[in-house]
Amino acid sequence: MAGILIVAPTTRGQLDPAFWELATVAALLAPAVPGGTRVAVLGAGIAAAAEAARASEADQVFAIDDNLLAEPWPDAHLAAITELWHHINPDLVLLPRSTLGAELAGRLAARLGVVLVDNVVGVDVTEAGLTATRPVFGGAVTAAVRAVRGPWIVVPHPKAFAPAAPGGASARAELVAWSPTLAPDQLRTRCAPMVSRPATGPSLNQAQVVVAGGAGLGGPEPFALLAEIAGLMDGAVGASRAACDAGWVDTSFQVGMTGETVAPALYLAIGISGAIQHLAGCLSSQVIVAINTDPDAPIFRVANYGVVGDWREVVPALRDALASELGN
Amino acid sequence: MRVVVCLKQVVDPLTPADELALDRNRMRVLGPPRSAPVTNGYDEQALEAALRLRDSLGEVEVVALSLGDRFQLDVMKRALAVGADELVLVQDPGLDTWNGFRLAEVLGAAIAHLGGADLILCGRQASDWDNALVPLVLAEHLGLPCLTIARQVGIVGQQVKVERALEDGVQLMEADLPAVVTVTSELGELRYPTVKARLKAARQQPTLLSLAEIGAPPARPPLLEVVDLDLPLSSRECQFVTGADGAEAGRSLARILVGASVGAPADNGRG
Repeated sequence: MAGILIVAPTTRGQLDPAFWELATVAALLAPAVPGGTRVAVLGAGIAAAAEAARASEADQVFAIDDNLLAEPWPDAHLAAITELWHHINPDLVLLPRSTLGAELAGRLAARLGVVLVDNVVGVDVTEAGLTATRPVFGGAVTAAVRAVRGPWIVVPHPKAFAPAAPGGASARAELVAWSPTLAPDQLRTRCAPMVSRPATGPSLNQAQVVVAGGAGLGGPEPFALLAEIAGLMDGAVGASRAACDAGWVDTSFQVGMTGETVAPALYLAIGISGAIQHLAGCLSSQVIVAINTDPDAPIFRVANYGVVGDWREVVPALRDALASELGN
Repeated sequence: MRVVVCLKQVVDPLTPADELALDRNRMRVLGPPRSAPVTNGYDEQALEAALRLRDSLGEVEVVALSLGDRFQLDVMKRALAVGADELVLVQDPGLDTWNGFRLAEVLGAAIAHLGGADLILCGRQASDWDNALVPLVLAEHLGLPCLTIARQVGIVGQQVKVERALEDGVQLMEADLPAVVTVTSELGELRYPTVKARLKAARQQPTLLSLAEIGAPPARPPLLEVVDLDLPLSSRECQFVTGADGAEAGRSLARILVGASVGAPADNGRG
């Protein structure tokens, strides 16, 4: 075998929306990477996710259902994917840039001695090999990279590729139940079940409006105001790393290099200066609006609309005006 | 108990994007000429994790290890000022590289040269190339357990126990030592040195080592080449919204957002 292997992201047995971004990249590269496209769905109780993945343009879906894969436990997932790799011998593997996916990509590349092409926003395969572009320095710089020989492990930048639409009735990939020989005593770590955070409102990385606050807010209290504005527009609240590190909000709110990468229709940045590590997470937003006291703040250089002013004056008035405009 | 903390000197991530410059001959990104580099933030937190282990366990030797082509010594010596027992700098022109596989290989050789480690602590990723790769490759090459994104690190007997801060929850993970652990910002900031410790550190000298001294294997051509670098221009031009006071500007902004239907779900045409 050869071709493309997509390692599908799942959460509690459901296929993550990010899968369809990987499906887009696979469809883009499939003409240059012959051998068909396969999807690996790993987890415990993943029948629904595997079924959903069959509606992609893949030829086969490997359902790898094992209790040891129930948790985002890198060692177990890595063992299963390594074994599947040797079964399929893919030319190109696509992994999501989630916490688990990114770790698997790096360790798989090291374990197998193959090339890792991480964080790509553009990718092409020709007879001359694989070329890709990727942001570095938080998106301030774009690097063009090339790897002549595969196999390649490719990790797309989140939200850089429009998600593929699930196919109709004709798109029914063959379902293959596949069991790796997972032995817990051969894994180097042990892990306990994850304690999940309760979800509130639309998830940050899927929301169409993100209202984010940073160090300029000065404390945790103003985030209640941001939440009101997010609520008016069915949006989610985000935060810069500075606000998260200060303990004002939970790190699950963090947008940026080590937080979520978001690409909403509207990104409202309040009291955020726009350090490159923050911009990395929001530059793909359609419209960026910044409110900051410092007219030279870097955030204004990437914003479509800006207000130079104190959030204490600007933001309550913005909330009240939005409430009356949107209430009609 | 011996803990090696890997530190990377990086361009300050608070540098505004338009002050970065490119060296296209060497495929390097340069900070502004007179700005000092900083220790990668997550690496400082890894150092804090090591110091906390010593606070709780007592007998812990903390070795700070960095690779690079040149070092800003006053920046690197901060590791000594906060309590590292030794600062080891491996210096070579070839170590100013984005190639994490090479850096991991050299770190492995350096750690072996130093006599090994019970625990290797790293930041979860660096703010420059954002690869989060070196610790993973290091663990794989050394055949060690790899525990990533720890917000808390503890040692019980011959085991390391961490709390991993994941996107949607917390996961407890443990492994037998020796192991590689990467640390995230939730662990907390690196402590401040006392004035006395800073003065003492200023007089201490780091151990400088060459690739030959640590017995590093020769560099091979990387599997992945960087063929070009570019500073993308922002396609956005900021339209400033003003008013007699902040409140009026806020109301004007609201009208613009509602008028432009911003926030309404729309096909955004990205691709």
